[in-house]
Amino acid sequence: MNYLRIFGLYFRIGAMGEMQYRFNFFAHLFQSLLQLGMAIGGLAVVFSYTHNLGGWLPDEVLALVGVYTLVGGLIGLVVYPSMEQFIMSVRDGRLDFVLVKPFDAQLLNSLQSVDIWRLIDIGLGLGVLIVALARLGAQVGLTQAALFIGMLLTGSAIIYSFWTILATLSFWFVRVENILEIFRSMYEAGRWPVSMYPPWLRFALSYIVPVAFVTTVPVEALTGRLGPHTLLLAVLLAAILLVLSRLFWKLGLRQYSGASA
Amino acid sequence: MISPIIHIHELSKTYEVTERESGMLASVRSLVHRTREEVRAVDRISFDLAPGEVVGFLGPNGAGKTTTLKMLSGLLYPTAGEVTVLGYLPSKRMGSFLRQITLVMGQRNQLVWDIPAMDSFELNRAIYRIPQADYRRTLDELTQLLELGPLLRKPVRNLSLGERMKCEIAAALLHRPQVVFLDEPTIGLDVTMQRRIRDFIAEYNRRFGATVLLTSHYMADVEALCKRVVVIHHGRLLFDGELSALVRQFTAHKTLVVQLEDGRLDLGKYGEVLSSEEGRYTLRVPKAQTARITEQLLADLPVIDLLVEDPPIEEVIERVFAQEIE
Amino acid sequence: MTALAQLYLQQFKTTFATMVQYRASLFIWMIGHVLEPLVYLVVWSVVAEGGGGSAGNYTTAQFAGYFIVLMLVENVSYTWIMYEYDYRIREGLLSPALLRPVHPIHADIAENISSKAITMPFMLVVAGVLAAVFHPSMSPRLWAMAAAIPALVLAFLLRFLLEWTLAQAAFWTTRVSAVNQSYFVLVLFLSGQVAPLTLFPHALQIVAAILPFRWMLGFPVELLLGRLTPAEAMLGLLVQVLWVGIAYVMMRLVWRSGIRLYSAVGA
Repeated sequence: MNYLRIFGLYFRIGAMGEMQYRFNFFAHLFQSLLQLGMAIGGLAVVFSYTHNLGGWLPDEVLALVGVYTLVGGLIGLVVYPSMEQFIMSVRDGRLDFVLVKPFDAQLLNSLQSVDIWRLIDIGLGLGVLIVALARLGAQVGLTQAALFIGMLLTGSAIIYSFWTILATLSFWFVRVENILEIFRSMYEAGRWPVSMYPPWLRFALSYIVPVAFVTTVPVEALTGRLGPHTLLLAVLLAAILLVLSRLFWKLGLRQYSGASA
Repeated sequence: MISPIIHIHELSKTYEVTERESGMLASVRSLVHRTREEVRAVDRISFDLAPGEVVGFLGPNGAGKTTTLKMLSGLLYPTAGEVTVLGYLPSKRMGSFLRQITLVMGQRNQLVWDIPAMDSFELNRAIYRIPQADYRRTLDELTQLLELGPLLRKPVRNLSLGERMKCEIAAALLHRPQVVFLDEPTIGLDVTMQRRIRDFIAEYNRRFGATVLLTSHYMADVEALCKRVVVIHHGRLLFDGELSALVRQFTAHKTLVVQLEDGRLDLGKYGEVLSSEEGRYTLRVPKAQTARITEQLLADLPVIDLLVEDPPIEEVIERVFAQEIE
Repeated sequence: MTALAQLYLQQFKTTFATMVQYRASLFIWMIGHVLEPLVYLVVWSVVAEGGGGSAGNYTTAQFAGYFIVLMLVENVSYTWIMYEYDYRIREGLLSPALLRPVHPIHADIAENISSKAITMPFMLVVAGVLAAVFHPSMSPRLWAMAAAIPALVLAFLLRFLLEWTLAQAAFWTTRVSAVNQSYFVLVLFLSGQVAPLTLFPHALQIVAAILPFRWMLGFPVELLLGRLTPAEAMLGLLVQVLWVGIAYVMMRLVWRSGIRLYSAVGA
């Protein structure tokens, strides 16, 4: 419960920090709309030359864009800014302040920065998703909705663990912020159905940078395409990665504290 | 015999540092082969602190003060030796341990930049799980002692360096820690603010009985606050005891300030002339000969005024460090 | 002139040393720059396959050629100066640059070119690998290759001047990332990175032709692929020159007023 309270405080802090600049809201709204517009524009250009992208209908890909934006918003809300701040704090020594607090350092580092403007993306993404589903006339029953949320959660757990592992690397390497860029580029690839990529790219986007599990897979769940083996894989991967990332974090912390290996 | 609240024995910390020369060729070479060197940041130091003590940890930059402090607060694993604080092994970083200590680092902020200090305080309250009533009480006391009133509502970035430091210190003490580690808390501050913070630390120790370990390379900090100093240089402990004893042990000289009418005399035969301004001569004389030289001066010259002083403590410390190298 | 040459040489050495230090980040950076064109390559290949082998006036193999060349041209023209400037102004690192007798843009150009000189060989290797995997088809012509040299230089200058000017926005607002992001989204779409511009609806093609983005990227790519007539190439180069001129003027104006603001507000 305390964790939630602390997250609430960080959220409030993030909001307060931003609210002072009124220009920000409109700037971010404009930016998010622009990005969404371009994504849909790209989609439109592609689908002016075909009716079927690797087995996906236009509105299914639209739903994917919605989920992509929604999840991008979720990641950008807490994970990305907190990890970025963590990486910087390793360098400038502010990490020491976090480590000296009686609170789990990994959790504190994961929550410490909130970019409230990502709520705009979350809202827009949700909107696009709903529109796409309406256009599909899709029958979204309770099971599908539940699977969708389930896959979204496992996908988030996978992504969070992945980010933790990446960020933990900054205990050993100095210029790790570039890693954040790598995720951004690979996440871009999640805008299109991963199933249509050549096998090696599909593999990369599932097991190296697990973007697929947080974009394509939830949409598959929603449109009733989710195979049971994918479902199982997602859950298993989430569990394994959560444990692995936690262990790796502990290792990194020991490295930082100069524990003899 | 009260058991020490901080116990350090043969504590050591060694680092491996990679070395590289400049130039293009060296850059390419370093792709394949990296030379490593061992640095002894802290070298077998031992000392204990009793509860409620205010101890100054003195040494030049790079002496190992901050490294020691980090080992005491659990941020660094020692390479060798023992360290216990409040009966805990700091490197285990147990919640119950961390709740009783605090670390303040000069020129490094833990307060969130864009928002009022008050909100950062709230964050600490949640993290340290401070009960509402205790929080209120402590905050009121700190506000009064540090004169924080108008500062708390301003965004931290709008505060001056000194005001920021006061808020940082307050934030660090909200949970009433029993052990307070201060790493160069007055660095970069103006003289007035330095004094205010020193006064606060003394008052805090008096009121709450907290044990304070303070590192500094400002003598003024140590002189004002600490009866006991620990001197460290190149990672080694050079001295542990009372400040006055330090002065006594490591000064071979005394300073004589003689006031004469005639400002153009050469007093070289009495001692080393450090300065001579309008009849006010400053001489450095060997300690053992102070009495004899003073007698001589008084006998030979029409002395208006004469003062016998210990050399400034900075000089003493420098001497201590210089001796270490020999 | 030799002072300038010295500066560039010195910058090259510094950049080289820095990059050797941060080898890992180099690798990571490369992944980002390869992945984007790769994704679109795949997307359009799928579209082409589904459409009987081609989409618009590009076959599957031609799409491969387009995006591989795009990747290389992107590497020639791209800059990161907007991020750099935001960082500089926030950290107060601008003052030392202002005190130098040379216009600060030179140091930035030098750094940019040095960095690319180092990364280009790697990119060429990657391009080779991609070519082996995707079997691109191109029809390069000798005159087009020759014309591509000034086209690339102009593309680089245009993009650098434009983005350097936009980077000065950091003088006026602390939240430059909004400006950066919006710009990059536009560039992505209208420069030919999402799709060859000839595949866009006609109205958008006109917009793309008027804006400078096509001339930073899409134009040199099409030229290298041999898809333009000599007349189109000639016209394109002229447009590039025009845009470089405009960008240069803008740069000087914005820089002057930015400096005035900066000095007024105080370092």
